[in-house]
Amino acid sequence: MSGHSHWPEWIYVAVVIALMCYVGAEAWNVERLIEHVPEDAKLITVTGQQWLWTFEHEDGTKEIGELHLEKGEAYRFEIHSKDVIHSFNIHEYTVLMDAVPGRVNHVWFSPNVAGEFDIQCREYCGLIHYNMRGTLFVEDKGA
Amino acid sequence: MKVIIGFGLVLALLIVLPSVQNVMAAGDTPGEYLDRKELIWGLFYRLMIVAFTVGTVVSGMIVWLVLRFRESNPKAKPTSYEAEGNW
Repeated sequence: MSGHSHWPEWIYVAVVIALMCYVGAEAWNVERLIEHVPEDAKLITVTGQQWLWTFEHEDGTKEIGELHLEKGEAYRFEIHSKDVIHSFNIHEYTVLMDAVPGRVNHVWFSPNVAGEFDIQCREYCGLIHYNMRGTLFVEDKGA
Repeated sequence: MKVIIGFGLVLALLIVLPSVQNVMAAGDTPGEYLDRKELIWGLFYRLMIVAFTVGTVVSGMIVWLVLRFRESNPKAKPTSYEAEGNW
């Protein structure tokens, strides 16, 4: 070892460790918040198949290619696939979860803006993947 | 040396403890749902600030090192090995 001072190196190491802790803690916190499903969230069963989305509400109502939700409510999605891997995506609400055959994945969100939003498949799933789309209608309560 | 390690630990704890406290204090009030979009994009922007800051510092340091220690720099001095000519 040479005789020069090492304090800049130690400060550099400390800053790197601090930044890594910060990044890890922030990401962990956001993931924890996002994965915590509210108890009163309503269940929507989502099924992906080549090349359409079907939705089933808690009361048994079924929709194909369209999903009607109420603004301000929380919804928990159970995502299934009948054939190949798809990915359920509502871009406007940063919802993205794979639909995997033989497995049930979960995601939840609460729409806070009324309007029409795109639903799409974000995992290449075959010839007409590009057109595996749907529409989310978020309506005001009681509308 | 101990002082430097202690300083590093204190600095790390100053970041870690508030973060842990922040996580534990997050509420679960029924009927109030978090805005997923805001959370995810907020995290993205914060982490981008960290990433670009680190990137700028590291690239700046590399550029400075290359310019400062190039052979043609008038301030360049030969190392002890080069000065003695035995390596």
